[in-house]
Amino acid sequence: MKIRTLRLLAKEGTANVYKNKLMSFASLITIMTTLFVLGLVLLVIVNVISNLEAKKQDLQVKFYLRVDASRMEQEEVAMFIENGRASGVVSEYQYESREQAYENAKKDLKHESLMEGLTPDNFAEGYFVSLTDPNDSDQFIAKLKLLSGIDSQWITYPKDELDKITGVVRVFNYAAIFVLAVLMIISVLLISNTIRLTVFARRKEIEIMKYVGANDWFIRFPFIIEGMIIGLLGALLSHLLTSQTYGWIKDGLNNLFSSIKISDLQLIEFDQFAIRILVVYIIFGTTIGIIGSLMSVKKHLNV
Amino acid sequence: MIRFVDTTKVYSNGVVGIKNLTLRIEKGEFVFVIGASGSGKSTFLKLIMHEETPSEGEVYVNGYSVHNMPKSEVPYLRRSLGVVFQDFRLLPNKTAYDNVAFAMQIVEALPREIRRQVPLALGLVGLSKKARAYPEQMSGGEQQRIVLARALVNNPAVLIADEPTGNLDPKTSLEIMELLDEINQRGTTVIVATHEKSIVDAMKKRVITLDRGELVSDVQKGLYTDEN
Ligand SMILES: Nc1ncnc2c1ncn2[C@@H]1O[C@H](COP(=O)(O)OP(=O)(O)OP(=O)(O)O)[C@@H](O)[C@H]1O
Ligand SMILES: [Mg+2]
Repeated sequence: MKIRTLRLLAKEGTANVYKNKLMSFASLITIMTTLFVLGLVLLVIVNVISNLEAKKQDLQVKFYLRVDASRMEQEEVAMFIENGRASGVVSEYQYESREQAYENAKKDLKHESLMEGLTPDNFAEGYFVSLTDPNDSDQFIAKLKLLSGIDSQWITYPKDELDKITGVVRVFNYAAIFVLAVLMIISVLLISNTIRLTVFARRKEIEIMKYVGANDWFIRFPFIIEGMIIGLLGALLSHLLTSQTYGWIKDGLNNLFSSIKISDLQLIEFDQFAIRILVVYIIFGTTIGIIGSLMSVKKHLNV
Repeated sequence: MIRFVDTTKVYSNGVVGIKNLTLRIEKGEFVFVIGASGSGKSTFLKLIMHEETPSEGEVYVNGYSVHNMPKSEVPYLRRSLGVVFQDFRLLPNKTAYDNVAFAMQIVEALPREIRRQVPLALGLVGLSKKARAYPEQMSGGEQQRIVLARALVNNPAVLIADEPTGNLDPKTSLEIMELLDEINQRGTTVIVATHEKSIVDAMKKRVITLDRGELVSDVQKGLYTDEN
Protein backbone atom coordinates (compact mmCIF):
# COMPACT_ATOMS: atom_id res chain seq x y z
CA MET A 1 0.00 0.00 0.00
CA LYS A 2 1.20 3.46 -0.80
CA ILE A 3 2.10 5.97 1.89
CA ARG A 4 -0.59 8.38 0.78
CA THR A 5 -3.17 5.61 1.07
CA LEU A 6 -2.00 4.81 4.60
CA ARG A 7 -2.24 8.47 5.49
CA LEU A 8 -5.69 8.65 4.02
CA LEU A 9 -6.81 5.59 5.98
CA ALA A 10 -5.23 6.89 9.18
CA LYS A 11 -7.23 10.07 8.76
CA GLU A 12 -10.29 7.96 8.18
CA GLY A 13 -9.70 6.01 11.39
CA THR A 14 -9.17 9.21 13.37
CA ALA A 15 -12.37 10.68 12.01
CA ASN A 16 -14.22 7.49 12.91
CA VAL A 17 -13.33 7.98 16.56
CA TYR A 18 -15.51 11.12 16.52
CA LYS A 19 -18.12 9.74 14.21
CA ASN A 20 -18.76 6.66 16.32
CA LYS A 21 -18.84 8.56 19.58
CA LEU A 22 -20.84 6.00 21.46
CA MET A 23 -18.61 3.09 20.62
CA SER A 24 -15.49 5.13 21.19
CA PHE A 25 -16.78 6.11 24.60
CA ALA A 26 -17.77 2.59 25.57
CA SER A 27 -14.42 1.19 24.47
CA LEU A 28 -12.58 4.00 26.18
CA ILE A 29 -14.32 3.23 29.47
CA THR A 30 -13.56 -0.46 29.08
CA ILE A 31 -9.88 0.10 28.43
CA MET A 32 -9.63 2.71 31.17
CA THR A 33 -11.20 0.45 33.74
CA THR A 34 -9.10 -2.58 32.94
CA LEU A 35 -5.90 -0.55 32.89
CA PHE A 36 -6.90 1.05 36.17
CA VAL A 37 -7.48 -2.33 37.83
CA LEU A 38 -4.25 -3.58 36.30
CA GLY A 39 -2.36 -0.57 37.61
CA LEU A 40 -3.68 -0.87 41.15
CA VAL A 41 -2.91 -4.58 41.32
CA LEU A 42 0.57 -3.95 39.99
CA LEU A 43 1.12 -1.16 42.50
CA VAL A 44 0.13 -3.46 45.36
CA ILE A 45 2.57 -6.03 44.08
CA VAL A 46 5.30 -3.45 43.61
CA ASN A 47 4.71 -2.23 47.16
CA VAL A 48 4.99 -5.70 48.60
CA ILE A 49 8.15 -6.36 46.62
CA SER A 50 9.73 -3.04 47.53
CA ASN A 51 9.03 -3.61 51.23
CA LEU A 52 10.50 -7.07 51.02
CA GLU A 53 13.53 -5.71 49.22
CA ALA A 54 13.90 -3.13 51.95
CA LYS A 55 13.78 -5.94 54.47
CA LYS A 56 16.59 -7.61 52.60
CA GLN A 57 18.66 -4.47 53.04
CA ASP A 58 18.27 -4.81 56.80
CA LEU A 59 19.93 -8.20 56.72
CA GLN A 60 23.56 -7.68 57.69
CA VAL A 61 26.72 -9.70 57.44
CA LYS A 62 28.17 -9.64 60.95
CA PHE A 63 31.69 -10.73 61.76
CA TYR A 64 34.33 -10.33 64.47
CA LEU A 65 38.07 -10.17 64.29
CA ARG A 66 40.17 -12.59 66.26
CA VAL A 67 40.93 -11.20 69.70
CA ASP A 68 44.62 -11.62 69.01
CA ALA A 69 44.50 -10.08 65.55
CA SER A 70 47.58 -8.03 64.76
CA ARG A 71 47.50 -4.37 63.84
CA MET A 72 48.31 -5.34 60.24
CA GLU A 73 45.41 -7.76 60.14
CA GLN A 74 43.04 -5.15 61.58
CA GLU A 75 44.07 -2.71 58.93
CA GLU A 76 43.71 -5.28 56.21
CA VAL A 77 40.07 -5.89 57.24
CA ALA A 78 39.33 -2.17 57.53
CA MET A 79 40.83 -1.69 54.08
CA PHE A 80 38.80 -4.54 52.62
CA ILE A 81 35.50 -3.09 53.90
CA GLU A 82 36.39 0.42 52.78
CA ASN A 83 37.26 -0.86 49.31
CA GLY A 84 33.95 -2.69 49.27
CA ARG A 85 32.19 0.54 49.96
CA ALA A 86 34.16 2.39 47.32
CA SER A 87 33.28 -0.23 44.71
CA GLY A 88 29.62 -0.20 45.74
CA VAL A 89 29.38 -3.79 46.99
CA VAL A 90 28.93 -2.54 50.55
CA SER A 91 26.16 -0.01 50.99
CA GLU A 92 26.97 0.86 54.59
CA TYR A 93 28.54 -0.65 57.68
CA GLN A 94 28.95 -0.14 61.38
CA TYR A 95 32.22 -0.70 63.15
CA GLU A 96 32.39 -1.72 66.77
CA SER A 97 35.71 -1.16 68.45
CA ARG A 98 37.00 -3.21 71.38
CA GLU A 99 36.05 -0.39 73.77
CA GLN A 100 32.52 -0.18 72.36
CA ALA A 101 32.18 -3.94 72.57
CA TYR A 102 33.31 -3.79 76.17
CA GLU A 103 30.85 -1.00 77.00
CA ASN A 104 28.01 -2.76 75.22
CA ALA A 105 28.73 -5.96 77.07
CA LYS A 106 28.76 -4.11 80.36
CA LYS A 107 25.37 -2.60 79.55
CA ASP A 108 23.86 -5.89 78.49
CA LEU A 109 25.07 -7.98 81.41
CA LYS A 110 22.98 -7.71 84.52
CA HIS A 111 25.65 -9.03 86.84
CA GLU A 112 28.65 -6.78 86.92
CA SER A 113 30.60 -9.56 88.54
CA LEU A 114 30.72 -11.40 85.26
CA MET A 115 32.70 -8.53 83.80
CA GLU A 116 35.27 -8.60 86.52
CA GLY A 117 38.81 -8.95 85.36
CA LEU A 118 37.85 -8.23 81.76
CA THR A 119 39.30 -5.32 79.82
CA PRO A 120 38.52 -4.09 76.28
CA ASP A 121 41.48 -6.18 75.18
CA ASN A 122 39.47 -9.29 75.84
CA PHE A 123 36.90 -8.20 73.28
CA ALA A 124 37.01 -8.44 69.52
CA GLU A 125 36.40 -5.74 66.97
CA GLY A 126 33.21 -6.26 64.99
CA TYR A 127 31.73 -5.16 61.69
CA PHE A 128 28.07 -5.10 60.74
CA VAL A 129 27.90 -4.79 56.96
CA SER A 130 24.90 -4.06 54.73
CA LEU A 131 25.39 -5.21 51.17
CA THR A 132 24.04 -3.25 48.24
CA ASP A 133 22.85 -6.47 46.65
CA PRO A 134 22.05 -9.09 49.27
CA ASN A 135 22.56 -11.75 46.61
CA ASP A 136 26.29 -10.98 46.79
CA SER A 137 26.43 -12.30 50.36
CA ASP A 138 27.90 -15.73 49.56
CA GLN A 139 30.70 -14.28 47.50
CA PHE A 140 31.34 -11.58 50.06
CA ILE A 141 31.55 -14.04 52.92
CA ALA A 142 33.90 -16.26 50.94
CA LYS A 143 36.27 -13.33 50.56
CA LEU A 144 36.03 -12.48 54.27
CA LYS A 145 37.14 -15.99 55.11
CA LEU A 146 40.37 -15.39 53.22
CA LEU A 147 41.31 -12.61 55.62
CA SER A 148 43.45 -14.03 58.40
CA GLY A 149 42.34 -11.37 60.90
CA ILE A 150 38.77 -12.59 60.91
CA ASP A 151 37.53 -15.41 63.04
CA SER A 152 35.60 -17.34 60.41
CA GLN A 153 33.42 -19.00 63.03
CA TRP A 154 31.99 -15.63 63.83
CA ILE A 155 30.83 -14.62 60.38
CA THR A 156 27.04 -14.69 60.43
CA TYR A 157 24.42 -13.92 57.88
CA PRO A 158 20.64 -14.64 58.11
CA LYS A 159 20.69 -16.70 54.93
CA ASP A 160 17.41 -18.49 55.66
CA GLU A 161 15.58 -15.25 55.96
CA LEU A 162 17.10 -13.98 52.73
CA ASP A 163 16.06 -17.13 50.89
CA LYS A 164 12.56 -16.86 52.26
CA ILE A 165 12.23 -13.26 51.16
CA THR A 166 13.74 -14.00 47.77
CA GLY A 167 11.21 -16.79 47.32
CA VAL A 168 8.29 -14.58 48.23
CA VAL A 169 9.52 -11.83 45.91
CA ARG A 170 9.74 -14.36 43.10
CA VAL A 171 6.16 -15.47 43.75
CA PHE A 172 4.97 -11.89 43.61
CA ASN A 173 6.86 -11.31 40.37
CA TYR A 174 5.10 -14.28 38.82
CA ALA A 175 1.83 -12.99 40.23
CA ALA A 176 2.43 -9.69 38.46
CA ILE A 177 2.98 -11.43 35.12
CA PHE A 178 -0.08 -13.60 35.70
CA VAL A 179 -2.27 -10.62 36.53
CA LEU A 180 -1.00 -8.84 33.43
CA ALA A 181 -1.82 -11.79 31.22
CA VAL A 182 -5.26 -12.41 32.69
CA LEU A 183 -6.29 -8.78 32.55
CA MET A 184 -4.99 -8.54 29.00
CA ILE A 185 -7.21 -11.42 27.92
CA ILE A 186 -10.22 -10.11 29.81
CA SER A 187 -9.88 -6.66 28.36
CA VAL A 188 -9.41 -7.90 24.81
CA LEU A 189 -12.61 -9.90 25.19
CA LEU A 190 -14.44 -6.96 26.69
CA ILE A 191 -13.25 -4.54 24.09
CA SER A 192 -13.89 -6.79 21.12
CA ASN A 193 -17.38 -7.31 22.46
CA THR A 194 -17.94 -3.60 22.78
CA ILE A 195 -16.61 -2.97 19.32
CA ARG A 196 -18.51 -5.91 17.90
CA LEU A 197 -21.79 -4.31 18.86
CA THR A 198 -21.11 -1.34 16.68
CA VAL A 199 -19.11 -3.08 14.01
CA PHE A 200 -22.31 -4.96 13.53
CA ALA A 201 -23.91 -1.64 12.79
CA ARG A 202 -20.98 -0.98 10.49
CA ARG A 203 -21.25 -4.35 8.84
CA LYS A 204 -23.10 -2.76 5.96
CA GLU A 205 -20.32 -0.27 5.55
CA ILE A 206 -17.71 -3.02 5.39
CA GLU A 207 -19.85 -4.90 2.90
CA ILE A 208 -20.08 -1.89 0.61
CA MET A 209 -16.34 -1.41 0.76
CA LYS A 210 -15.87 -5.02 -0.26
CA TYR A 211 -18.32 -4.71 -3.14
CA VAL A 212 -16.46 -1.74 -4.46
CA GLY A 213 -13.29 -3.83 -4.37
CA ALA A 214 -11.47 -2.78 -1.20
CA ASN A 215 -9.04 -5.40 0.02
CA ASP A 216 -8.97 -6.53 3.63
CA TRP A 217 -6.16 -4.26 4.75
CA PHE A 218 -7.86 -1.26 3.25
CA ILE A 219 -10.85 -2.01 5.46
CA ARG A 220 -8.89 -3.06 8.53
CA PHE A 221 -6.43 -0.24 8.71
CA PRO A 222 -8.84 2.53 9.78
CA PHE A 223 -10.19 0.21 12.45
CA ILE A 224 -6.68 -0.40 13.71
CA ILE A 225 -6.01 3.31 13.92
CA GLU A 226 -9.32 3.77 15.67
CA GLY A 227 -8.49 1.09 18.24
CA MET A 228 -5.03 2.53 18.73
CA ILE A 229 -6.28 6.05 19.38
CA ILE A 230 -8.90 4.85 21.84
CA GLY A 231 -6.31 2.65 23.54
CA LEU A 232 -3.90 5.55 23.83
CA LEU A 233 -6.56 7.88 25.21
CA GLY A 234 -7.64 5.19 27.66
CA ALA A 235 -4.03 4.77 28.79
CA LEU A 236 -3.53 8.48 29.42
CA LEU A 237 -6.80 8.97 31.27
CA SER A 238 -6.30 5.81 33.27
CA HIS A 239 -2.82 6.95 34.25
CA LEU A 240 -4.28 10.16 35.62
CA LEU A 241 -6.96 8.25 37.48
CA THR A 242 -4.46 5.76 38.87
CA SER A 243 -2.08 8.41 40.16
CA GLN A 244 -4.93 10.25 41.90
CA THR A 245 -6.40 7.12 43.41
CA TYR A 246 -3.04 5.78 44.50
CA GLY A 247 -2.32 9.12 46.18
CA TRP A 248 -5.53 8.86 48.23
CA ILE A 249 -4.94 5.25 49.16
CA LYS A 250 -1.36 5.97 50.16
CA ASP A 251 -2.33 8.91 52.38
CA GLY A 252 -5.11 6.86 53.95
CA LEU A 253 -2.84 3.92 54.66
CA ASN A 254 -0.03 6.10 55.98
CA ASN A 255 -2.47 7.67 58.43
CA LEU A 256 -3.66 4.24 59.42
CA PHE A 257 -0.12 2.93 59.86
CA SER A 258 0.89 5.83 62.04
CA SER A 259 -2.23 5.52 64.17
CA ILE A 260 -1.57 1.84 64.82
CA LYS A 261 2.17 2.42 65.12
CA ILE A 262 3.41 0.44 62.18
CA SER A 263 6.57 2.18 61.13
CA ASP A 264 8.56 -0.24 59.03
CA LEU A 265 6.10 -0.38 56.12
CA GLN A 266 7.12 2.09 53.48
CA LEU A 267 4.65 2.82 50.64
CA ILE A 268 6.37 3.72 47.42
CA GLU A 269 5.80 7.06 45.76
CA PHE A 270 3.73 6.96 42.55
CA ASP A 271 6.20 9.28 40.87
CA GLN A 272 8.89 6.66 41.19
CA PHE A 273 6.88 4.40 38.91
CA ALA A 274 4.87 6.96 36.93
CA ILE A 275 6.85 6.58 33.70
CA ARG A 276 7.00 2.80 33.86
CA ILE A 277 3.28 2.56 34.54
CA LEU A 278 2.58 4.94 31.70
CA VAL A 279 4.64 2.80 29.35
CA VAL A 280 2.82 -0.35 30.47
CA TYR A 281 -0.52 1.41 30.06
CA ILE A 282 0.27 2.70 26.59
CA ILE A 283 1.55 -0.64 25.39
CA PHE A 284 -1.43 -2.46 26.87
CA GLY A 285 -4.00 0.14 25.90
CA THR A 286 -3.00 0.31 22.25
CA THR A 287 -2.52 -3.45 21.99
CA ILE A 288 -5.93 -4.10 23.49
CA GLY A 289 -7.47 -1.51 21.20
CA ILE A 290 -5.83 -2.93 18.09
CA ILE A 291 -6.50 -6.57 18.89
CA GLY A 292 -10.08 -5.74 19.81
CA SER A 293 -10.60 -3.93 16.51
CA LEU A 294 -9.02 -6.70 14.49
CA MET A 295 -11.07 -9.38 16.21
CA SER A 296 -14.31 -7.58 15.61
CA VAL A 297 -13.60 -6.70 11.98
CA LYS A 298 -12.42 -10.19 11.18
CA LYS A 299 -15.89 -11.68 11.42
CA HIS A 300 -17.27 -9.35 8.82
CA LEU A 301 -14.49 -9.53 6.29
CA ASN A 302 -15.66 -12.77 4.75
CA VAL A 303 -18.24 -11.25 2.43
CA MET B 1 -16.02 -11.07 -21.59
CA ILE B 2 -18.47 -13.03 -19.39
CA ARG B 3 -18.97 -16.73 -19.81
CA PHE B 4 -21.00 -19.24 -17.82
CA VAL B 5 -20.24 -22.87 -18.63
CA ASP B 6 -22.81 -25.35 -17.34
CA THR B 7 -22.95 -23.43 -14.08
CA THR B 8 -25.07 -24.57 -11.16
CA LYS B 9 -25.51 -22.86 -7.82
CA VAL B 10 -27.11 -24.82 -5.02
CA TYR B 11 -27.39 -22.88 -1.74
CA SER B 12 -26.38 -24.58 1.49
CA ASN B 13 -30.05 -25.11 2.34
CA GLY B 14 -30.51 -27.10 -0.86
CA VAL B 15 -32.34 -24.39 -2.82
CA VAL B 16 -31.23 -24.21 -6.44
CA GLY B 17 -30.37 -20.64 -7.45
CA ILE B 18 -28.96 -21.30 -10.93
CA LYS B 19 -29.18 -24.55 -12.85
CA ASN B 20 -26.94 -25.70 -15.72
CA LEU B 21 -26.54 -22.23 -17.12
CA THR B 22 -24.41 -21.77 -20.21
CA LEU B 23 -24.20 -18.35 -21.84
CA ARG B 24 -21.90 -15.67 -23.14
CA ILE B 25 -22.07 -11.92 -22.89
CA GLU B 26 -19.76 -10.00 -25.21
CA LYS B 27 -17.95 -6.78 -24.60
CA GLY B 28 -20.14 -3.73 -25.04
CA GLU B 29 -23.48 -5.55 -24.79
CA PHE B 30 -26.49 -4.29 -22.86
CA VAL B 31 -28.35 -7.22 -21.28
CA PHE B 32 -31.54 -7.43 -19.25
CA VAL B 33 -31.99 -10.42 -16.95
CA ILE B 34 -35.64 -11.02 -16.19
CA GLY B 35 -37.78 -13.68 -14.54
CA ALA B 36 -40.21 -14.17 -11.70
CA SER B 37 -39.21 -13.56 -8.12
CA GLY B 38 -36.90 -16.34 -7.01
CA SER B 39 -35.94 -17.26 -10.57
CA GLY B 40 -32.26 -16.66 -9.89
CA LYS B 41 -31.56 -13.17 -11.26
CA SER B 42 -29.69 -11.98 -8.18
CA THR B 43 -27.88 -15.29 -7.92
CA PHE B 44 -26.68 -14.84 -11.50
CA LEU B 45 -25.24 -11.41 -10.71
CA LYS B 46 -23.74 -12.62 -7.43
CA LEU B 47 -21.92 -15.36 -9.28
CA ILE B 48 -20.42 -12.74 -11.58
CA MET B 49 -19.10 -10.65 -8.69
CA HIS B 50 -17.98 -13.62 -6.58
CA GLU B 51 -20.43 -12.92 -3.79
CA GLU B 52 -21.49 -16.49 -4.34
CA THR B 53 -19.39 -19.25 -5.87
CA PRO B 54 -20.83 -21.89 -8.22
CA SER B 55 -21.41 -25.40 -6.91
CA GLU B 56 -20.63 -26.75 -10.35
CA GLY B 57 -19.43 -25.39 -13.66
CA GLU B 58 -17.35 -22.40 -14.56
CA VAL B 59 -17.70 -18.64 -14.53
CA TYR B 60 -15.31 -16.35 -16.41
CA VAL B 61 -15.43 -12.57 -15.98
CA ASN B 62 -13.02 -10.07 -17.52
CA GLY B 63 -10.36 -12.73 -17.80
CA TYR B 64 -10.77 -14.00 -14.22
CA SER B 65 -11.77 -17.58 -13.50
CA VAL B 66 -14.29 -16.64 -10.88
CA HIS B 67 -15.22 -20.24 -9.99
CA ASN B 68 -11.82 -21.04 -8.54
CA MET B 69 -10.54 -17.66 -7.57
CA PRO B 70 -8.28 -17.20 -4.53
CA LYS B 71 -9.84 -14.89 -1.96
CA SER B 72 -7.03 -12.38 -2.33
CA GLU B 73 -7.92 -11.80 -6.00
CA VAL B 74 -11.57 -10.99 -5.37
CA PRO B 75 -10.91 -7.25 -4.80
CA TYR B 76 -9.29 -7.05 -8.25
CA LEU B 77 -12.27 -8.72 -9.89
CA ARG B 78 -14.58 -6.29 -8.10
CA ARG B 79 -12.55 -3.32 -9.27
CA SER B 80 -13.10 -4.40 -12.85
CA LEU B 81 -16.84 -4.32 -12.18
CA GLY B 82 -19.21 -1.53 -11.37
CA VAL B 83 -21.91 -2.76 -9.02
CA VAL B 84 -25.31 -1.16 -8.43
CA PHE B 85 -27.96 -2.49 -6.05
CA GLN B 86 -31.58 -1.84 -5.38
CA ASP B 87 -30.99 -0.59 -1.83
CA PHE B 88 -28.65 2.27 -2.62
CA ARG B 89 -25.42 1.17 -1.05
CA LEU B 90 -23.58 4.33 -0.21
CA LEU B 91 -21.31 4.78 2.79
CA PRO B 92 -23.54 6.67 5.22
CA ASN B 93 -20.90 8.89 6.78
CA LYS B 94 -19.32 10.10 3.57
CA THR B 95 -20.51 12.84 1.25
CA ALA B 96 -21.56 12.05 -2.31
CA TYR B 97 -18.17 13.27 -3.48
CA ASP B 98 -16.29 11.10 -0.95
CA ASN B 99 -18.39 8.06 -1.79
CA VAL B 100 -17.38 8.34 -5.42
CA ALA B 101 -13.79 9.20 -4.53
CA PHE B 102 -13.68 6.10 -2.32
CA ALA B 103 -13.83 3.81 -5.35
CA MET B 104 -10.76 5.56 -6.70
CA GLN B 105 -8.91 5.60 -3.39
CA ILE B 106 -9.24 1.83 -3.29
CA VAL B 107 -7.29 1.52 -6.51
CA GLU B 108 -4.80 4.04 -5.12
CA ALA B 109 -5.44 6.56 -7.84
CA LEU B 110 -3.45 9.78 -7.70
CA PRO B 111 -5.21 12.59 -5.81
CA ARG B 112 -4.92 14.67 -8.96
CA GLU B 113 -6.77 11.94 -10.90
CA ILE B 114 -9.42 11.75 -8.20
CA ARG B 115 -9.98 15.48 -8.27
CA ARG B 116 -10.47 15.31 -12.02
CA GLN B 117 -12.54 12.14 -12.36
CA VAL B 118 -14.98 12.48 -9.48
CA PRO B 119 -16.55 15.75 -10.70
CA LEU B 120 -16.77 14.27 -14.19
CA ALA B 121 -18.62 11.24 -12.85
CA LEU B 122 -20.92 13.40 -10.75
CA GLY B 123 -21.54 15.55 -13.81
CA LEU B 124 -22.36 12.53 -15.92
CA VAL B 125 -25.12 11.49 -13.50
CA GLY B 126 -26.24 15.10 -13.27
CA LEU B 127 -25.53 15.62 -9.58
CA SER B 128 -22.60 18.03 -9.49
CA LYS B 129 -24.61 20.18 -7.10
CA LYS B 130 -24.99 17.39 -4.56
CA ALA B 131 -21.28 16.73 -4.17
CA ARG B 132 -21.27 17.79 -0.53
CA ALA B 133 -24.52 16.12 0.48
CA TYR B 134 -24.61 13.04 2.70
CA PRO B 135 -26.68 10.04 1.57
CA GLU B 136 -29.43 10.74 4.10
CA GLN B 137 -29.81 14.21 2.62
CA MET B 138 -30.57 12.86 -0.85
CA SER B 139 -33.62 11.27 -2.46
CA GLY B 140 -33.62 7.63 -3.50
CA GLY B 141 -33.10 8.53 -7.14
CA GLU B 142 -30.24 10.85 -6.30
CA GLN B 143 -28.57 8.23 -4.14
CA GLN B 144 -28.88 5.69 -6.91
CA ARG B 145 -27.28 8.09 -9.35
CA ILE B 146 -24.38 8.58 -6.92
CA VAL B 147 -24.02 4.81 -6.79
CA LEU B 148 -23.89 4.86 -10.57
CA ALA B 149 -21.27 7.59 -10.52
CA ARG B 150 -19.21 5.46 -8.14
CA ALA B 151 -19.71 2.38 -10.29
CA LEU B 152 -18.42 4.08 -13.41
CA VAL B 153 -15.73 6.38 -12.08
CA ASN B 154 -13.01 3.78 -12.58
CA ASN B 155 -14.27 3.00 -16.09
CA PRO B 156 -15.14 -0.62 -15.31
CA ALA B 157 -15.35 -3.10 -18.15
CA VAL B 158 -18.66 -4.40 -16.83
CA LEU B 159 -21.43 -2.76 -14.87
CA ILE B 160 -23.92 -5.02 -13.11
CA ALA B 161 -27.12 -3.66 -11.63
CA ASP B 162 -29.61 -5.62 -9.50
CA GLU B 163 -33.01 -3.95 -9.78
CA PRO B 164 -31.42 -0.51 -9.83
CA THR B 165 -34.81 1.12 -10.15
CA GLY B 166 -36.68 -1.12 -7.72
CA ASN B 167 -37.25 1.64 -5.19
CA LEU B 168 -37.80 4.51 -7.62
CA ASP B 169 -40.79 6.11 -9.28
CA PRO B 170 -41.31 5.46 -13.03
CA LYS B 171 -39.90 8.77 -14.20
CA THR B 172 -36.74 8.47 -12.13
CA SER B 173 -36.43 4.84 -13.17
CA LEU B 174 -36.39 5.84 -16.78
CA GLU B 175 -33.72 8.45 -16.12
CA ILE B 176 -31.52 5.84 -14.46
CA MET B 177 -32.02 3.50 -17.38
CA GLU B 178 -31.09 6.23 -19.81
CA LEU B 179 -27.94 6.79 -17.80
CA LEU B 180 -27.13 3.09 -17.98
CA ASP B 181 -27.68 3.24 -21.72
CA GLU B 182 -25.33 6.20 -21.96
CA ILE B 183 -22.68 4.34 -19.97
CA ASN B 184 -23.17 1.41 -22.33
CA GLN B 185 -22.71 3.69 -25.36
CA ARG B 186 -19.29 4.59 -23.97
CA GLY B 187 -18.24 0.97 -24.23
CA THR B 188 -19.09 -0.54 -20.86
CA THR B 189 -20.89 -3.86 -20.81
CA VAL B 190 -24.12 -3.40 -18.81
CA ILE B 191 -26.13 -6.20 -17.18
CA VAL B 192 -29.39 -5.27 -15.48
CA ALA B 193 -31.66 -7.58 -13.49
CA THR B 194 -35.14 -6.13 -13.39
CA HIS B 195 -38.87 -6.69 -13.00
CA GLU B 196 -39.91 -3.63 -14.89
CA LYS B 197 -41.70 -4.60 -18.03
CA SER B 198 -42.13 -1.11 -19.43
CA ILE B 199 -38.46 -0.37 -19.29
CA VAL B 200 -37.40 -3.65 -20.86
CA ASP B 201 -39.94 -3.22 -23.61
CA ALA B 202 -38.92 0.36 -24.27
CA MET B 203 -35.23 -0.31 -24.58
CA LYS B 204 -35.18 -3.24 -26.98
CA LYS B 205 -32.00 -4.82 -25.68
CA ARG B 206 -30.88 -8.41 -25.32
CA VAL B 207 -33.18 -10.12 -22.79
CA ILE B 208 -32.19 -13.21 -20.85
CA THR B 209 -35.06 -14.92 -19.08
CA LEU B 210 -34.60 -17.24 -16.11
CA ASP B 211 -37.11 -19.59 -14.59
CA ARG B 212 -36.31 -21.50 -11.43
CA GLY B 213 -32.64 -21.01 -12.15
CA GLU B 214 -32.78 -22.20 -15.72
CA LEU B 215 -32.26 -20.22 -18.90
CA VAL B 216 -35.57 -20.32 -20.75
CA SER B 217 -34.98 -17.71 -23.41
CA ASP B 218 -32.26 -15.42 -24.71
CA VAL B 219 -33.44 -12.91 -27.31
CA GLN B 220 -31.64 -10.05 -29.04
CA LYS B 221 -33.73 -6.84 -29.10
CA GLY B 222 -36.29 -8.62 -26.98
CA LEU B 223 -39.40 -7.65 -25.06
CA TYR B 224 -40.31 -8.52 -21.48
CA THR B 225 -43.15 -10.66 -22.77
CA ASP B 226 -41.19 -12.50 -25.46
CA GLU B 227 -40.93 -15.77 -23.61
CA ASN B 228 -44.59 -15.98 -22.61
N1 LIG C 1 -28.34 -16.91 0.55
C1 LIG C 1 -29.31 -17.75 0.17
N2 LIG C 1 -29.46 -18.90 0.85
C2 LIG C 1 -30.40 -19.77 0.46
N3 LIG C 1 -31.21 -19.61 -0.57
C3 LIG C 1 -31.11 -18.48 -1.28
C4 LIG C 1 -30.14 -17.51 -0.93
N4 LIG C 1 -30.25 -16.48 -1.82
C5 LIG C 1 -31.25 -16.82 -2.65
N5 LIG C 1 -31.75 -18.02 -2.34
C6 LIG C 1 -32.82 -18.73 -3.06
O1 LIG C 1 -32.39 -18.94 -4.38
C7 LIG C 1 -33.45 -18.73 -5.28
C8 LIG C 1 -33.07 -17.65 -6.28
O2 LIG C 1 -32.93 -16.42 -5.56
P1 LIG C 1 -32.56 -15.04 -6.26
O3 LIG C 1 -32.33 -14.07 -5.19
O4 LIG C 1 -31.45 -15.28 -7.20
O5 LIG C 1 -33.89 -14.71 -7.03
P2 LIG C 1 -34.28 -13.39 -7.82
O6 LIG C 1 -34.59 -13.80 -9.19
O7 LIG C 1 -33.23 -12.36 -7.63
O8 LIG C 1 -35.59 -12.97 -7.04
P3 LIG C 1 -36.17 -11.50 -6.81
O9 LIG C 1 -36.78 -11.06 -8.08
O10 LIG C 1 -37.19 -11.70 -5.76
O11 LIG C 1 -35.03 -10.65 -6.36
C9 LIG C 1 -34.64 -18.35 -4.44
O12 LIG C 1 -35.44 -19.51 -4.25
C10 LIG C 1 -34.07 -17.91 -3.14
O13 LIG C 1 -34.93 -18.22 -2.07
MG1 LIG D 1 -33.14 -10.48 -6.69
